[in-house]
Amino acid sequence: MESRHVSRRTFLMTSATVAGASVFPMQARATLGQETPRKGGTLRVGFYIEAATMDPHLSGSKIDRQVYHNVYEPLVTLDVKLGIKPGLAESWQQPDPKSYVFKLRRGVKFHDGTDFNAEAAKFNFVRMKTEAKSVRKGELANVDTVDVVDSHTIKLNLKKPDAALLATLTDRAGMMISPKVVQERGSELERNAKGAGTGPFEFVEWVRDDHLLIKRNEQYWNRQGGPYLDRIRFRPIPDDTVKLQSLQAGEIDVIDYVQPRDVAPARADKRLVVVDVPSLAAFAYQLNHTRPPFNVKALRQAVAYALDVEQIAKGVWLNVGVPSNGPIPPTSWAYDRTISPIKRDLAKAKAKLAEGGKPSGFTFTLTTTNIPINVQEVEVMQAQLAEAGITAKIKLNDSATQLAEGNSKNFEMTAYQWSGRPDPDGNIYQFFKTTPGTSLNWSGISNSQLDALLDKTREVSPQAERKKLYSEVVRLLQDELPMIYTVHPIEPKAFSPRVQAYEPIPDGMMRFKDVWLRS
Amino acid sequence: MLRLVLHRIAATIPVLLLVTAGIFSLLHLTPGDPIDVMMAESVDATVKENLRKQLGLDQPIAVQYLTWMGRLVRGDLGRSIRNGEPVIENVGRRIRPSLQLALFAMTISVTVAIPIGIISALRHNRTADRVGTTFALFGICMPNFLLALLLIFLFGVTLRWLPISGYMDPLEEGWDGVRSLVLPAVTLGLALAAVITRTLRSSLLEALAEDYVRTARAKGLSEWLVIRGHVLKNALIPVVTVLGLQLGTLIGGAVITEYVFALPGVGRLVVDAVFARDYPLVQGVVLLIAVGFILSNLLVDILYGFIDPRIRVR
Repeated sequence: MESRHVSRRTFLMTSATVAGASVFPMQARATLGQETPRKGGTLRVGFYIEAATMDPHLSGSKIDRQVYHNVYEPLVTLDVKLGIKPGLAESWQQPDPKSYVFKLRRGVKFHDGTDFNAEAAKFNFVRMKTEAKSVRKGELANVDTVDVVDSHTIKLNLKKPDAALLATLTDRAGMMISPKVVQERGSELERNAKGAGTGPFEFVEWVRDDHLLIKRNEQYWNRQGGPYLDRIRFRPIPDDTVKLQSLQAGEIDVIDYVQPRDVAPARADKRLVVVDVPSLAAFAYQLNHTRPPFNVKALRQAVAYALDVEQIAKGVWLNVGVPSNGPIPPTSWAYDRTISPIKRDLAKAKAKLAEGGKPSGFTFTLTTTNIPINVQEVEVMQAQLAEAGITAKIKLNDSATQLAEGNSKNFEMTAYQWSGRPDPDGNIYQFFKTTPGTSLNWSGISNSQLDALLDKTREVSPQAERKKLYSEVVRLLQDELPMIYTVHPIEPKAFSPRVQAYEPIPDGMMRFKDVWLRS
Repeated sequence: MLRLVLHRIAATIPVLLLVTAGIFSLLHLTPGDPIDVMMAESVDATVKENLRKQLGLDQPIAVQYLTWMGRLVRGDLGRSIRNGEPVIENVGRRIRPSLQLALFAMTISVTVAIPIGIISALRHNRTADRVGTTFALFGICMPNFLLALLLIFLFGVTLRWLPISGYMDPLEEGWDGVRSLVLPAVTLGLALAAVITRTLRSSLLEALAEDYVRTARAKGLSEWLVIRGHVLKNALIPVVTVLGLQLGTLIGGAVITEYVFALPGVGRLVVDAVFARDYPLVQGVVLLIAVGFILSNLLVDILYGFIDPRIRVR
């Protein structure tokens, strides 16, 4: 019997669908009656790889963040619509464009009993900016100094205005670690995060290559809602098919990602609940502006007009992704629905070929990583380009080679995948701003109009104004084409029907504070 | 025998030198950089430079090789670039599941292959032989990953008799540990059983045609005594050779099986390390795998002596 009541879970699932990719309806299943959350149980989570480090300031891996968002807490956090809400900071102000004042929450303790206060927060920022192995330096490059205003207030003084800073602080750059643990444990923290966080769950143990265990923080400061689960056990299962089968057989309760090819069968399986999480990610191709053939704008445009991204989204991604108009995903407040993805137009492609001095087409090398869906995508692109007289020779790399070639600009057109950042700045600035030497600007684009626009997006604070600027940026990018964007993937997660109240936030991170297990 | 062992051990030194130099140059010739992989999302060039210096990766390859060899002579395999832990600890954690899996798979394959091989040879060109050779053909042709997925689907998802993935140590968890190794061991063992069946069948057929078999039969020995006492021992030499070679492969090369069943073994460790360009870890593991191969071959040589005393005398 299905109830007419809408559970919190169903509500959240539906609202996320509305917020995100409404074209792909989520499998909303009404649960039986209104249930009150139940305390207890161990949630078993399957990941595709193992975490790399337990130290958020040294982490460069997406999977680490899945664990962190349960053990550590950032100063501010994201809601389902990517809005910024209070985290360890209960409020914040921006007295002038170059400073942020954060009022920190009182009564918060790290798991080792150390008080969380302004001194602890300052310690964390100083560590992120000075520690030799810190991966957070780039993200906090604009933070000049940190002042302790009083016991629970800090002020960040910026070198220049940075409208994207708050969004940056929703992830690892805003995560607070117990200063006592950092000082006493040193590099051992990378393997053992006991006592280190303030989050709803505490680190228990990490048996490398086998499992990582966290347990409920009984002293958690936020008394509303969870944590309900006794424990969460994360396990690496590298093979996607086996991971899904483990879920079907009831060996695990959650998997972090369902491959597009498995989405339809998973949906049809009554033992599973599939939740679409529209992501911030983008699949794209960098075009090398520093050497032929793509130092010629018309030839870049010819390639863009020859491609059919809608067909790619349908045929390769099986609609588990949406055609992309540029670096901003549809989940973002800055997404401009009036700008459509570049439409396929073979006549225009041919005209551009003539304009670029190659009326009978040209040959180039199209590089990607040797992963099935990536290979399928370039094969479809190869066929589409051939219809315009353009010959793409496919070259497959492993990811390390791909990175090395990108960083040294040793490619013609190469695949680039970005997991995405909540603020558009993180998906745009570092890719397209003129930067000498090694950077994420693999294409080597250097365009003064774009540079000026990009700087302006950081200086202006009101969201509406920033959105206008970003629309200008996206239009300019569609014309200049440092990158050709194909798809913004949806990242479906699958659950056992026992798992309740999961909140799908488009950064793809699984926060289990309010999640509970039905018996 | 002792001389043979000492001689073989001495002969391994140049082999190991060649292996280390080979793997070192191959790894460094491969495009890709460990620091790029570690810091794929970071744009801070100074951080990368400092790390490169700290890890000695800014030195010329020859210097890096000599430094590494210097440490190796002192028994230090270095530390993994990725997780900062000593290479030996990384391998130590992984070698146990790999060894258990290899031995389990080998036991399964021998248990299955020897009777089938014997029956096939004795019932040469009859139905039993055809069934046996079909089994062998199936085992050799069946890709590892497909067999693994089929076994998972049948025994894990449909019947739910056995766990699908993950590892529990049989020495600590007992029966649950054994259960966690059954499907991967069958996956690996079946292919090996097929090879052993074929090898044993053909060497048995060869031995059965020998004069001493006719003599033994003429003496009036029962067929079983002829097989056990005369034929089998002589036919086992090629089987032992195959087993010895496969033991090394099973320990270091069961990558696909380890991936599918999420077993934390040595094969996966080395492949992940190659993808991350974790030079010290790859070098250390490959060196240890090479030592494993050499030792298993040495074991085979010693076993030859027991099976065929003529080899010992020579």
